[in-house]
Amino acid sequence: MSGVNVSRRNFLKASGVVGGGLVLGFSLTGCSSRPVPVEPVAGAFVPNAFIQITPDNRVRFYCPRDEMGQGVTTGLGTLIAEELDIDPQSLDVVFAGVHADYNNPDFGTQGTGGSSSLRVHYRQLRQVAANVRDIILEAAARDLGAAKGDLKTDSGSVIADGERHPYGKFAATAQTLTAPESAPLKSRGDFKYIGKDFVRLDALEKSTGTAVYGIDIDVPGMHHAAVRRSPVAGAKLVSVDKSAAAGIQGVTDIVEISSGVAVVAEKYWQAKQAVAALNPTWEIVELGSVNTDKIREDYLRAIDAEEGIVETEGEIAPAFSNAAKVLENEYWAPYLAHAPLEPMNAVLRIENGQADLWTGTQGPAAAEGLVSRFSGIAPENIRVHSTYLGGGFGRRGVLTHVIEITEIAVATGKPIKLLWSREDDIKHGVYRPASLMKIKAGVDEAGQVTAWQAKRVGGNIMPQTLKNMLPGLLPGVPASIINAAVGLSNRAFGSWTIDESSIEGLFEDYDFPNREVSHVTVEHQVPLCFWRSVGHSYTSFAKETMMDELAEQAGLGSVEFRLRNTKNKPRLNNVIKVAGEHMKQMRPAEGRYLGFAAHNCFQTDVAQVAEVSVERGQIRVHKVTCVVDCGVAVNPDIVKAQMEGAIMYGLTAALHGNLSHRDGTIQESNFHDYPILRMNESPDVEVVIIDSEEEPTGVGEPGLPPIAPAVANAVYAATGQRLRSLPLTLA
Amino acid sequence: MIEFTLNGQIVRTDDDPNTPLLWVVRDTFKLKGSKFGCGAGLCGACTMHVDGQAVRTCVLPVFRVEGKQITTIEGLGSPDSMHPLQAAWTEQSVPQCGYCQSGQIMSAAALLEDNPSPTEQEVDQAMAGNICRCGCYVRIKRAILSVAENAAVEDNGLAYNAAAVMPEVQS
Ligand code: FES
Ligand code: FES
Repeated sequence: MSGVNVSRRNFLKASGVVGGGLVLGFSLTGCSSRPVPVEPVAGAFVPNAFIQITPDNRVRFYCPRDEMGQGVTTGLGTLIAEELDIDPQSLDVVFAGVHADYNNPDFGTQGTGGSSSLRVHYRQLRQVAANVRDIILEAAARDLGAAKGDLKTDSGSVIADGERHPYGKFAATAQTLTAPESAPLKSRGDFKYIGKDFVRLDALEKSTGTAVYGIDIDVPGMHHAAVRRSPVAGAKLVSVDKSAAAGIQGVTDIVEISSGVAVVAEKYWQAKQAVAALNPTWEIVELGSVNTDKIREDYLRAIDAEEGIVETEGEIAPAFSNAAKVLENEYWAPYLAHAPLEPMNAVLRIENGQADLWTGTQGPAAAEGLVSRFSGIAPENIRVHSTYLGGGFGRRGVLTHVIEITEIAVATGKPIKLLWSREDDIKHGVYRPASLMKIKAGVDEAGQVTAWQAKRVGGNIMPQTLKNMLPGLLPGVPASIINAAVGLSNRAFGSWTIDESSIEGLFEDYDFPNREVSHVTVEHQVPLCFWRSVGHSYTSFAKETMMDELAEQAGLGSVEFRLRNTKNKPRLNNVIKVAGEHMKQMRPAEGRYLGFAAHNCFQTDVAQVAEVSVERGQIRVHKVTCVVDCGVAVNPDIVKAQMEGAIMYGLTAALHGNLSHRDGTIQESNFHDYPILRMNESPDVEVVIIDSEEEPTGVGEPGLPPIAPAVANAVYAATGQRLRSLPLTLA
Repeated sequence: MIEFTLNGQIVRTDDDPNTPLLWVVRDTFKLKGSKFGCGAGLCGACTMHVDGQAVRTCVLPVFRVEGKQITTIEGLGSPDSMHPLQAAWTEQSVPQCGYCQSGQIMSAAALLEDNPSPTEQEVDQAMAGNICRCGCYVRIKRAILSVAENAAVEDNGLAYNAAAVMPEVQS
């Protein structure tokens, strides 16, 4: 296999932002001597950035990752609880402030995404907690005059001679000791909490309306802001008539900011009315003449061009000549918005040279950097208070709203809450890129795919990600240098064929002895971003519906055919086998048909069977069986919930998701024309988790990619129509 | 000045009468459990009970609730005294991001008040106005049906605890 392989996970390192290279020598998290942002209770034992134990035995866990629904407080809290030997439900979980100790080891910055949290923290946080437990035992031995070897722990207490002593009792002595670096970890057989189901730690708050999101924060003197942005992304303001807006009751300020015009008022409703009353004129940009049809035409031209080979293996041409059957198809996937249910928002207070930002974000360190860059306040005088996220899906890694609120707060001198409307969210988002894909594949008499030639055309996410992230990650670096770096990255990635996010999932899963993968970048200046499962969200559709067609050509069932082509992928092979066994047991009612698909992403393997009917041209998904191998399932019930959720998210895309451009403007605006799957359309889901000894792999995203092709394959069984365009629409 | 009853307490506001009830409850009366998701009556995140009916309050001007009884998620139950639906939601780990769940629970509570033992189709119908972007539908449905079943078994009704959970009320 030739070609450079740059993964999204490692893109910061690979692009040289971390560890020298493109931008040399800047630390991403500022001065490492900065104190850890914990607020110690008097007399508490604070052994590290993650754990605090008070004299009255309350254990606080500073969670380094953000909670967007994926259950990370429970998942990471379980790791802490397991090795510290306390009941996870007794943990007091708080979201960590910004500090290098809380970095995501894979990202080199404090970020949550890429289905990475349990994988990257599985050993680290267990070790942190095991070391703390060890030091508590040491302190107990001293305080009780006992031999350390005679002491045990149980649910937050040291047991000595059958007597229980809460950990907190030893906080003072523990404080004077140095923690070991590698206290022994529990072996799997000793786990009390890992691998067991229990109620999510945030379930109570989230069932009683008491969980706090960014939108719920109020500070004294706070004013409300709304922003009017150009309908065409990237167009700057030329002029604005503010007179009508200024006359609306409660409006206090109207300020021009980099993304448009902001109105500030005493109440949100006033700001919302006023922003609609603004009369702005925007500059004309190239995107302004782009329609969806043109995008498709540009892609169609590019897909037939002989260019863009990324990787080759084996000899593709002879493999096609020798194949028993050859198929060639094109596949389309549209732009999509993330539409988390909580629209973008933040609260910012700047007072006496100190800034406090409250927001639910996938990148608190970048948020801090943006506040610093746009306010001139040094990072050490900025506090980021992470809240719960009302959904993330990748959207909350892009922080335009933080730039906006900082500009507004600086211009007005007021504490501000900025809230985007749903229309802002759909029309001014950062999108899952549209894609045109072509696959040509050959299969031999034995049902082995011998040749696989795949190509994708569309925009690349990586250059835009750098453009969005660098200003926040490197707040101390002048804009001119950032722009130069972004310019370099545009040249590197923009014309570059190997933005792994663009083609991931198109070719890796099966044992193709001869293959060729190509990519042609065609840009229309539409803002792009990671969207749950990223490239896999569309490549799986092309790959898995093609595999179904090939199976049919080979005269094999969809399961048997995939099994024959995954001999070198034992984990994927196994989920296919197990899902196949379930499929055999399924007895679809009259008029219902089954479809199968499997996919590997974020190191996790998933196979799904969809039970579908088609009535009066309507596709209805009744049931989905989902088999997943994600290594150790730290909390199996949350793994199930993530599979259920990813299936629904993927079904929304499969059945409804579509954004269109006219004159560069997104035509959709709210849930009436960008519909989200509702309960009356949602299937029953059964999740089967493969028992595994291997370390945890991704869970938040891998449930999504197989669902669209599984449904499309079932639709073929039901109607004989092969659907190769998303969203799925019957002829 | 508009007057109505919020979780059992009489409240008054001089907010612009066209302000949607959602913003009056959230920003004037500081009850943050009801959420904003679309502002167009399409997602159900803002659902409250108006005289016992589940209503989308992001499109309900506050002048329309003059004299009416409003119940929010905070009035339905509290962490110390949960409505049976809230208890089921917690026990069954229904929420993911949690943002839609106040609205889901308010819609479900109104349904069960009306129809204590709904069929699955009736649940689908009644809940179709509430979007969960995280896709918790399997669990939401299961939790509602489990409460309906328990109520049928215990026959103790579902009268909720309207004891107000109100911070200091401004007028
Ligand atoms: S916010 Fe009221 S229905 Fe969506
Ligand atoms: S739990 Fe996130 S929107 Fe429902």
